[in-house]
Amino acid sequence: MNEQDQAFRHPLYDMVEGVARFPGVDVAFTTADKVLTWSQRNSLWVFPMATSCCGIEFMAASSSRFDLDRIGTIPRATPRHCDVMIIAGTITVKMAPRVKKLWDQMPEPKWAIAMGSCAISGDFYRDIYSVVPGVDTFMPVDVYVPGCPPNPDGLLEGLRRLQDKIRRKRAGEWVEPDRRPPPGMRAPSIPRIGDPARSPRIDDAQLDSVMHLDPGGALRRSGAPPLPPVPPAEEEG
Amino acid sequence: MRMPLDLLLPSWPDPHLDLGEYDPEADLVALNMGPQHPSTHGVLRVKLYLDGETVVKAVPYVGYLHRGVEKLCEKLTYVQITPIVDKNDYVSPMMNEWAVNAAFEALLGVEPPPRAQYMRTIFAEIQRIASHLISIGTWGLDMGGAIGGGATVFLYCLRERELILDLFEEVTGCRFHYNTHTVGGMRHDLPAGWDKRAKAVLDRISARTWEYERFLLDNPICRQRAEGIAVVDPTLAMELGVSGPILRASGVDYDMRRDAPYGAYGDIDIQVPVRTEGDALARALVRIAEMRESARIASTLLDGVPEGPIGALKPVKLHGAVKLKDGEEGYAAIESPRGELGTYVVAARERRGAASPYRLKIRSPSYHAISLLPWLCPGHTLSDVVVIIGSIDPIMGEVDR
Repeated sequence: MNEQDQAFRHPLYDMVEGVARFPGVDVAFTTADKVLTWSQRNSLWVFPMATSCCGIEFMAASSSRFDLDRIGTIPRATPRHCDVMIIAGTITVKMAPRVKKLWDQMPEPKWAIAMGSCAISGDFYRDIYSVVPGVDTFMPVDVYVPGCPPNPDGLLEGLRRLQDKIRRKRAGEWVEPDRRPPPGMRAPSIPRIGDPARSPRIDDAQLDSVMHLDPGGALRRSGAPPLPPVPPAEEEG
Repeated sequence: MRMPLDLLLPSWPDPHLDLGEYDPEADLVALNMGPQHPSTHGVLRVKLYLDGETVVKAVPYVGYLHRGVEKLCEKLTYVQITPIVDKNDYVSPMMNEWAVNAAFEALLGVEPPPRAQYMRTIFAEIQRIASHLISIGTWGLDMGGAIGGGATVFLYCLRERELILDLFEEVTGCRFHYNTHTVGGMRHDLPAGWDKRAKAVLDRISARTWEYERFLLDNPICRQRAEGIAVVDPTLAMELGVSGPILRASGVDYDMRRDAPYGAYGDIDIQVPVRTEGDALARALVRIAEMRESARIASTLLDGVPEGPIGALKPVKLHGAVKLKDGEEGYAAIESPRGELGTYVVAARERRGAASPYRLKIRSPSYHAISLLPWLCPGHTLSDVVVIIGSIDPIMGEVDR
């Protein structure tokens, strides 16, 4: 291969075992598995499970300036066309069964990206009764893209990480599983709906406090241990 | 506002009850649109009852993005609330911050200094342009898609929006969710030379709004799909509490920036664009005209930003430094891109001297706007529902909170 050829290196050459050059024709030798890997990781069609703010940033990433099409990623509106689900935004208890259903409708092989701190851990809605504390509580997640919301550059980097992960997994290399970034917050003070530690008494107490505008009043009256107090003001910075 | 009171009597049938001659069990097909649908702008779910392709009844369901923001605010101090409410109307975060902090300032009796007022007004107007760009762009995408020429509007609008995000990123360090308002003023001052760059961007966008208008008006697909679709009755809209561009596209000349001035709007003459058609196309044209007007307001105000401090209070070191008296309550509202965005606050009652509110209620314009859907959808086809939802431009983070 002379220098003129090396100026533009076609991505196909990355997977090619060897190129035989005959007059007028180039013949590439490779394995079927490498072709499959190459095509799979460079045509990741995404299903935007966009519920809130991160969905707007996903729109920005897929439009003019950042242009997700460059890495072969096209947003599609139906899960049946897609390889990757990007969960962009807060997932609530009411929405989670729908997300799971859409995830189950996607054909294998499939991957998931949790975009933004709400999808990763629930962020500051973590303690709220109606919010799921991270989507990995009910579905698998391959790549976490932190941020509130992440920049489009961050999302692009997440997709590149996913591409790298696909390549290494198909090549049989060891891939260290992504760990969920530590949320840096305390555990929820009240067990959520669906948590085995939650008792019907808490349901009654919450309902009662809503009805009588008396936060924690029913708990106090029932002689149960009180809810933790509001934390004192902290020094900022 | 300008309508005689005797017109406010309910003269239209309830779309939930009056189904005409249809038997809802036998004749109709029920179809769920959403909560995951690319054209419902988030997680809105509309249950449609169809006769063939014609919508007979439409019931919107909300709550798929209920994040308990109001409950969360009761646990946080007044200073901590600002970044939380950013996420409500996630297309125009500046407006949320201003609405909440205006309510706190009304309770505290603090008046922000003139420089902070000017900065707030300029930021709000630039944010209004960014919000309307998203609205017009996604609406075009809903109507035309990639084939009908709608993707062009989307890509052009998002291109200009990036310029605005760059301006805000320079001031606050964030693309959105700025957290730049605080009780009694602003957190970040304008960098040197920012006004020149902002003016250049505003001039550019203001010149290009004519292009978007031509994209919509010269496109036969767009005109056929939007003209005469979903005409909003002004009295019905006022009874439902709808405000903003939807109301102004129906001929009601009401804008809080002019009629109840706040911030620096008292210093400037505002031309409010009003149209009388009331259909989906008129709402889009009102938004485009508002973008031009916002660019003019922001450019004019940028000339006269006064010097001085940007906060009325001392820089807040402690979260709990801002306190209100027990039992006080107050309301403040601003004109967000979608209408009247208000905040109602009740100061702590039980915990004496607490630095967090007892109750905080957000009056969001989108919630009132989607209550128009049961009246607008019947009689139109299924494909028109996409146009209708796009034209009233709901933001579900603000609806469900």
